[in-house]
Amino acid sequence: MTYQTAVEAELARRRRFWRPLLVLIGLALLAAILLAIALLWRVVQSGTPYYSDIDAHFRHGSIGAEITSGIPYKVWKALPVLYPDRFPGGDYSSLGFLYDGGDLPIGIARRRVRGVDLVWFNCAICHTGTVRAAEDDKPIIVTGMPAHQLDLHGFTEIVLAAAGDPRLAPEPLREAMKQAGVGLGPVEGLLWRFAVFPQLREGLIDRAARLQPLLDRQPAWGRGRVDTFNPYKVLEFDQPAASLAEEEVVGASDFPSIFLQGPREGMQLHWDGNNTSLAERNLSAALGAGVTPETVDHAAIKRVADWLRDLPPPASQHRPDAEAVGRGQEIYKETCAACHGWLGPEGYMFEGAYLGKVTPLADIGTDPARLNSYTQAFRDAQVSRLFAGTPHAFREFQKTDGYANAPLDGLWLRAPYLHNGSVPTLADLLEPPAARPAAFQRGGDVLDPRGGFVAPPCETGKPCFDTAAPGNSNAGHLWGTDLPLAQKADLLAYLLTF
Amino acid sequence: MKADPIFQPLEFRNLTVKNRIFRSNISGRFDNEDGSLTQTRINWECRFAAGGVGAVISSYVPVRMDGRIIAGYATIHRDAFIPLWQKLGEAVRANGAKYILQLSHSGRQMDIPGVHNMHRPSPAPTSNKETLHGFLCQAMSTGEVRQMVRDFARGAWRAREAGLDGVELHAANGYLFTQFLSSGINDRTDAYGGSQRNRARFLLEVIEAIRDKVGRDFHLQVKLSATDHNNIIPWEGKGNTVADTVQVAQWCEAVGADALHISTGSLFPHPLNPPGDLPLEVLAVTYDAMISSGVHGFRNFLAFRYPMLRPIFRWLWFRMAKGRPIEGVGFDEARLIRDHVGIPVISTGGWQSAASVREALAHVDGISIARSLVANPNLLQFWRDGHDLPPKPCTYCNKCLVGVPKLPIGCHELDRFPSREAMIEQLMEVYDTKPEFRIPAPAAPAEETAEVS
Repeated sequence: MTYQTAVEAELARRRRFWRPLLVLIGLALLAAILLAIALLWRVVQSGTPYYSDIDAHFRHGSIGAEITSGIPYKVWKALPVLYPDRFPGGDYSSLGFLYDGGDLPIGIARRRVRGVDLVWFNCAICHTGTVRAAEDDKPIIVTGMPAHQLDLHGFTEIVLAAAGDPRLAPEPLREAMKQAGVGLGPVEGLLWRFAVFPQLREGLIDRAARLQPLLDRQPAWGRGRVDTFNPYKVLEFDQPAASLAEEEVVGASDFPSIFLQGPREGMQLHWDGNNTSLAERNLSAALGAGVTPETVDHAAIKRVADWLRDLPPPASQHRPDAEAVGRGQEIYKETCAACHGWLGPEGYMFEGAYLGKVTPLADIGTDPARLNSYTQAFRDAQVSRLFAGTPHAFREFQKTDGYANAPLDGLWLRAPYLHNGSVPTLADLLEPPAARPAAFQRGGDVLDPRGGFVAPPCETGKPCFDTAAPGNSNAGHLWGTDLPLAQKADLLAYLLTF
Repeated sequence: MKADPIFQPLEFRNLTVKNRIFRSNISGRFDNEDGSLTQTRINWECRFAAGGVGAVISSYVPVRMDGRIIAGYATIHRDAFIPLWQKLGEAVRANGAKYILQLSHSGRQMDIPGVHNMHRPSPAPTSNKETLHGFLCQAMSTGEVRQMVRDFARGAWRAREAGLDGVELHAANGYLFTQFLSSGINDRTDAYGGSQRNRARFLLEVIEAIRDKVGRDFHLQVKLSATDHNNIIPWEGKGNTVADTVQVAQWCEAVGADALHISTGSLFPHPLNPPGDLPLEVLAVTYDAMISSGVHGFRNFLAFRYPMLRPIFRWLWFRMAKGRPIEGVGFDEARLIRDHVGIPVISTGGWQSAASVREALAHVDGISIARSLVANPNLLQFWRDGHDLPPKPCTYCNKCLVGVPKLPIGCHELDRFPSREAMIEQLMEVYDTKPEFRIPAPAAPAEETAEVS
């Protein structure tokens, strides 16, 4: 028989005393290790879904904007729960986002970045819209048409307001996510507690601090419009909004259609024709959607761009009198085709002496705000600072003195008209400015037989597009306004077929 | 020419020593498991006697088996050992020195318990385990304390019976007496704890009991720690101050002590005793012999074994020694005590140079030395020849100290030797025994037992 020494007996007594605690500590340690592994496993995951269908890629695929500009998917889902007043429909359709059956609206892409699913814009956000023949019809989603229904300004306001909103504090947000059906799991909860929540708030505060002072100096953009370059100045180039000159600070203009890009190569692109390179224009637009030179997904953008080269607009649903169309075509060829090209039996003809060229502001006479918002200083910064030293560096940007003469393919889907969308219908555009509607509601998608969408007069309590506001002038583009009434009707009939 | 104070005889009440130098208490594990001493011990003690010291004070000699600090040190717990000690006394005297036996009991400070003690906590004034190694102990009942007093008196009686020149009570360095004396350790609520007088009661009763047993004419000195510095582990109480010890010294004198031997520290070893380095890299290979002795043994071993952890221990240990000299580290306190008593005082602590010893002897009566004599047993001859230090002095590396649990006692500082072989040779000298081997008497033949079918 062996016997224990006094010290061994004491140590055994201690072991018996401490064993339960040690077991607990061991279990806790094991749990911590498993948790760390689970966290690590999550955090190392990055990537974005690939859509083999090109239209699906355009609508839902990532172009790289989520990484620095995005917000977490679960926050995206929680915002309608947190702000029921801003989302009366319960989802983003209240702001004009379009759903095509998926969880996320068209134009919102998803990417997992270090274990957190982020969402943000892609090209489709601004370039997919709806149309219907009558109020009772189901809206048809058309890829490539302007997102004339989208209230991007409203969305931006909600996001910026969230930065300082107590409802976006971790606990209420956690609760809202749970209500939205996207509650955090235990591992994810940890990741959020220590990384996502703080970063989210910091990011929003930073964004709000730069952008809010700019929005404070502008009228609401209204549905279907965005200020292309001023947010770019404050976000990308750290230029304080207060430093922007009065004449450049309002720059909202309509979303353009993006059909048939191939024939446009070499034309002066953008409303003011500031770039003749499709690739540069595309990349610049992607920056507007939130990519940065570091995060941009060039391959994804190229895939979209290649497809858009040949994407035709759907045929017009207007059925004007064929003879009137024939007469109208003659008038058009004389009056309009040199600048805008024309529609023939083979499709849209991208030809005309002045097609894709800039008409000086003095001649066209439309609102100067958009032109002025693109300044020489901004152009210089674009060229020297973005993608500098890479094959993607901007070279073609130029400051112009007017607005570009755009091809009119898919014209039936491109209302309201003019670069700032200040004229609701084609018929109105053929009237002198004084006779054009002074104020109307934007965002409708019911076809108006006068060319464009039904745009009822303003009503109290609803957003109103006022042509008297800065940047909203419906003046200018007087071509055709002095035609006799019958000729105007014929011209309109022809234009309705575009 | 003025006479050299070192070589002046020192007259105690009951003993005259030929000079002022005492071999302080030091030993190796070279005795038998049963506590009987060996020829090796005789050789060891005689080495210093031959070197010229006035007296050899034995190392720690337990009066009971349950008070051994290290199994392997000789004891004086049995009358049967009297002739052995007698032989040792004769041997030392034959080499020209007196022999004073240190009566001791480990209390809770038991480094290597051995087969006799490993199964039980050591008797001590407290049940709180020793702080550095976690040695276990059990507070003695009042009756057990009284028995302990009698056992010390018996030990003194055996020393006298053996014809030795005197005894020393080891009331220093953290052993049983210190555990009673120290306000940082003694937590008793009976007559042996509480006030200082109560804490000193055990020591004073032992002195009185010895006097009762052996009479007034037998040399009895007491080794005291001037200051406890009990807080090596920072949250421990500091223990007794030198003022407390002055009081105890006066009480000792009053009840019949003939001399005092002044050391320091309420643990052994202690940063201030023996002063100098603490070679943790040597402890890393010797402390394993003590791992199982205390509940903190393994923790300490890790601190010694892994260089990354050594700074922690180094900080604990050396923070107290900072700014203090090695040689004569306890001199000021010994001098203070000497100023308050009428009996001779011996100072210990790093003494090695003739000049400082001479200077010190102007204020205290004797100097005790261990390590410097281990390094140079003939130190006094160098001094007599006019040298201040021997050519290869003790380096205070304390390798001899930390080697005790596993290595033979002696100087382990390789730098002091021409070769490793030379060092081993010196370490082995004390084992140069010529025993008269005896054939054990055969046991009486056992009765034939029935065969198992």
